[in-house]
Amino acid sequence: MSTADEKSRKAAAQPSGSIPTAEEGPAPADTAGGKVMAFFFIGLAASLFVGWIVFPKLLYSQKKQPIDFNHAMHVQEVDNGCESCHFFRPDGTFTGIPKLDKCLECHEEVQGDSAEESRFVNQYAQKGKEVPWLVYAKQPACVFFSHVAHVRMGKMDCAACHGNIGESQHTRVYEQNRISGYSRDIWGRNISGFKRHTWDSMKMADCAACHKRAGVHQTSVQTGKGACFVCHK
Amino acid sequence: MEAVNRRNRAKKYGMVIDLDKCTGCGSCTVACMAENNIPFRKDESDKLLSIAWLHVYKLTNGKPFPHTDVCYLPRPCMHCEGHHGHSPCVSVCPATATDYDEETGIVSQIYTRCFGCRYCMAACPYHVRLFNWWDPVWPDGMEKMLNPDVSVRMRGVVEKCSFCYHRHQRAMEKAYLEGRRELEEHEYQTACTQACPAGAITFGDLNNPKHAVYRLKKSPRAFRLLERLGTRPKVYYLSSREWVRQAGDNHLQQEKQKI
Amino acid sequence: MAFGIGGAVGTALSPLPWKLTDDLSIWTQNWPWTPVPPHGEVTQVDSVCTLCPGGCGISVRKVEDRVVKIEGMPGHPVNDGGICLLGASGAQLLYGPSRIEGPLKRVGRRGDGRWQPVSWKAAVAEVAGKLGVLRSGGEPHTLGCLLRSDRGTVPGLFSRLLTVFGSPNLMRMPSIQDTYELTLYQMQGALALPGFDVDNTDFLLSFGSGYIQGWGSPVHMFRAHSRWRNRGGRVVQVEPRLSISAAKADDWLAIKPGTEAALAMGLSHVIITESLYDRDFIENRCRGFESWVDAEGRIQPGFKQRVLNTYTPAKVSEITGIAAADVVRLARDFAKAARPLAICGRGRGRVPGDLGAFMAVHALNALCGSIQRAGGVWAVPEPDYINWFQPEMDKVAATGMQQSRLDGAGGPQYPLARYLTSYLAEIINAGKGYPLKALLVAGDNPAYTLPAGGNVRKALDSIPFIVSFSSFMDETTRMADLVLPNHIYLERLEDVPLAQGFSRPLVQLCKPVTAPQFNTRHSGDVVIDIARALGGSVATAFPWKSYADCLKETLGGNFQKLMRQVYMVGRGTGAPGHNAAFETASGKFEFTNPEFKIRPDYEPIEAEGDAASFPLVLVPYDSMRLASGFVADSPFMVKAVDDTVLKGRDILVEINPQTARKYGLADGAIALLRTPRGKARVKIYHFEGLMPGLVAMPTGLGHSAYDEYIGGKGVNFNRLIGPVQDPVSGLDAAWGIRAKLTRV
Repeated sequence: MSTADEKSRKAAAQPSGSIPTAEEGPAPADTAGGKVMAFFFIGLAASLFVGWIVFPKLLYSQKKQPIDFNHAMHVQEVDNGCESCHFFRPDGTFTGIPKLDKCLECHEEVQGDSAEESRFVNQYAQKGKEVPWLVYAKQPACVFFSHVAHVRMGKMDCAACHGNIGESQHTRVYEQNRISGYSRDIWGRNISGFKRHTWDSMKMADCAACHKRAGVHQTSVQTGKGACFVCHK
Repeated sequence: MEAVNRRNRAKKYGMVIDLDKCTGCGSCTVACMAENNIPFRKDESDKLLSIAWLHVYKLTNGKPFPHTDVCYLPRPCMHCEGHHGHSPCVSVCPATATDYDEETGIVSQIYTRCFGCRYCMAACPYHVRLFNWWDPVWPDGMEKMLNPDVSVRMRGVVEKCSFCYHRHQRAMEKAYLEGRRELEEHEYQTACTQACPAGAITFGDLNNPKHAVYRLKKSPRAFRLLERLGTRPKVYYLSSREWVRQAGDNHLQQEKQKI
Repeated sequence: MAFGIGGAVGTALSPLPWKLTDDLSIWTQNWPWTPVPPHGEVTQVDSVCTLCPGGCGISVRKVEDRVVKIEGMPGHPVNDGGICLLGASGAQLLYGPSRIEGPLKRVGRRGDGRWQPVSWKAAVAEVAGKLGVLRSGGEPHTLGCLLRSDRGTVPGLFSRLLTVFGSPNLMRMPSIQDTYELTLYQMQGALALPGFDVDNTDFLLSFGSGYIQGWGSPVHMFRAHSRWRNRGGRVVQVEPRLSISAAKADDWLAIKPGTEAALAMGLSHVIITESLYDRDFIENRCRGFESWVDAEGRIQPGFKQRVLNTYTPAKVSEITGIAAADVVRLARDFAKAARPLAICGRGRGRVPGDLGAFMAVHALNALCGSIQRAGGVWAVPEPDYINWFQPEMDKVAATGMQQSRLDGAGGPQYPLARYLTSYLAEIINAGKGYPLKALLVAGDNPAYTLPAGGNVRKALDSIPFIVSFSSFMDETTRMADLVLPNHIYLERLEDVPLAQGFSRPLVQLCKPVTAPQFNTRHSGDVVIDIARALGGSVATAFPWKSYADCLKETLGGNFQKLMRQVYMVGRGTGAPGHNAAFETASGKFEFTNPEFKIRPDYEPIEAEGDAASFPLVLVPYDSMRLASGFVADSPFMVKAVDDTVLKGRDILVEINPQTARKYGLADGAIALLRTPRGKARVKIYHFEGLMPGLVAMPTGLGHSAYDEYIGGKGVNFNRLIGPVQDPVSGLDAAWGIRAKLTRV
């Protein structure tokens, strides 16, 4: 549908729409046109409302993290910033969200007076049960992502993709796409897909754009862009 | 960053398989299956339907007893270079589910992108591409042995040998952590190379004079399969038996006599 | 209408259609029913593979607590990083559907496969109760025990249990080890295991041994074969079928089956007549080469005289079908090689073979001095680390141990043999000796692996109480009354006392790489539990708290060392050398041991059956892709089996096209194969590489137990053949059986 068309139609509709229409008598041509226009606008408004407001609400289910985790506080307590808990193993792989035993290094007993902490200690730590964290940045199973390549070799900040999660005091609601099953963070907060920050979305196009800018592995003969195996497995 | 990338010399990963050493045992096949999450069914004896990325073929010289001879030939994906990276299979894929990487010389296969037209299977002269006619099923508990580095495939897609590219990725991750961009020869080896009890498979960068494959591919015993098609395969074979070398390609009767 | 258009416009201007399209396209790429294996920390744990006696070191890759892949252990003296396909598919055995999940008690008829889970306590009490009755009834000797091997601590515990219980009927599964051990004892006086220094030999002469089909330590042999290819070593294979060993050899001599010993003697003839033998070794280190006068004043013909009189190349050619010129050439090449080595034991070595033939091959090695030196045959000392205190035996036990063995081994007829397990079934079925009232089976699957499978099942059926210690629901376990499943090797701690065919003593420790998947229990612990439940002197012989304690105490200071480094190469790391005296009474290598008067010779062992009704001869062949031993194939291995071996449920038998034409058997035709022991439906496969007149069948198929990935495919060769006794040793020496093929 062309935008120029719409504009001209809207322009044509405007004056006739402003004339008050009588309800009595046979409907003059422009009264009928007015009705058409009214319906058009009702339709337009309704669909825009549905598309921009209702649809995003329906599309994502909202899930709470099992524990309300305070990143900001933890970053202050630990010595080594993010890497205190999210670090590289000697084989270069990234631990991602730490396992329970990492938490147990400090939380074998309740440390502070936070209700969430004691809930964590009672429900998980003491039972030896892993916390079923919901991973905002979880990519499909066919994606290979190397943290070390980006952080160590590409000198990128964690925040470049993950945002300022380290400064958060509470865990955000995890929103899951009801159709694709992936986290809202992948497509991005903005329903229209526009991004203001580098971390606003984590789709293939975002990876590809950055790789192209940086000239990383642009060696696929067929696509002229990044080779498939760079990011897929 | 661009400068850094340009520093990365283009590799051409390839394989040399010594058929004089190969005993046809099939350890490569099984190691490959275990590494690459290859499914198995109750009856796998129809080899046209059976999925094995590395199939071991049995060649015979066709002579009567007792002049008969047999040679086994393991066949992974040849990762053909073709004409400037236009290998037979990637050239025909309508979905761009497979591509040729100039940096490594590896032909990829992306399962989630493939829609199963099987055009690539028809194009491949080596039968290395296989189609998933069924969804894979693991008996209860057996899914525990699946390797997380390799995607599990599904019904309706084509799959093939990747030269264990995930092992390249893992090796690179370790190298990156240590601040390196280049791999040592031993750091990236395919599962079949590692498993081969006869040490018959050698894997490495065909462009790198320091790698064993660079020297071995120049051996007078070396040949490739169907070289005349111009596919420029990156898997070389070594054999001291003339009939085996001849079996690697199609020859006219008079050519056979000449050789 | 207008509403619709407005709606359409609005919708198009909203993200709805675009986002929906994108999400749907992603949705089409989701296959939630295919598993997504979880990521995690990757670790490699070193251990030992015990799926065959080869003794390879393995490195097990784990992701968190999941066993994902099994690889060869780099730097290991046996396999140095290589692995065979059975070893590589160990994770399938660990997680496979044929594992037994806990102790089971049979309900319903034997073999029906109906079981009731029981507790370990109840199971042990049941065994102790049943066995206790035998002891209180004064017939402890009616307890039998079948083990795969008789070395190491777990077989040691079983053996100890039988001794203090009072039964001499401990049996080991047959293999060429039986005959090789006798050969070493006869000619070198050594109670030892055969070791072959294949790394250093430059000429391998194989009398039908599948040197790259699973003979010896498979991966070690593969590596040796590649080393010969690098260094220009030569290999000659003597065999009626173009096996893969024959195909990879530099020369293949197609010999009439069963006549290998004649060729060995013929080669000796040429070597002696042409004076190509190792003069120093023969003259100074051997006895019985020349004729001698015995104590009674009679002239005893020496090896030389017997060989020269009887085995001329012409005569040998007549027996073996190999041209006389080839015999002469081979003899010269062999003797002139720097470090020649002759090996025997057909195929993988499942059948013990005849002693005379083994001694003939050993004599050939001796002629070339290839005994106890680099590239030759070495007597590897028995593992000697088990030094438990002598147990006290009560009167019942002492009386029971006085009884003769049921299989007749060591008895008046066959004094040399230690075990004659191949005949157990025939003896039981014929009602000879005394009846077995209880049988413990551990580490093997005799209902599948013993010859004359039908007889074995019948014999097992007559034993009132059978206990299986198997981890898998195999053929024997299906016939058991009580199943006490062991951990599999990836879950258990156990010593591995040897690596078959390896030239040096090698002690290794198999350790748990993952927690037990099911309610299984270490057989070592179960034996201790049973002994304790039996009480009295039986219990006092087992003072250990657990098997782990027993093992730690046994290995002493080496335990921690083995936990760290997996293997320890024992004494004798260098070649023992010629200078060490042989352990015979004379201190010399004996061509004919004066005590037993058994000599290297060719005595034809005939295939069972009459030629008139069975015009063909069926021979087995072994393949690395088919595990024919106590453990069945993995699903991956079955998948790797060629369609010239197995097609659907049909086994393919090889036959020379010339023979096939004679009997009207087209390639791919279905036929009925009959032998004096049984019959089977087979598919015909024309193979030029097989000697005319023979039919060749792969071993390792035809499991009737296990799951659908493994079982119900093809035919078990052991069902079609029976043991043929070597008159000298009493061991099974069958190399084939007469057969008939008819079209269906």
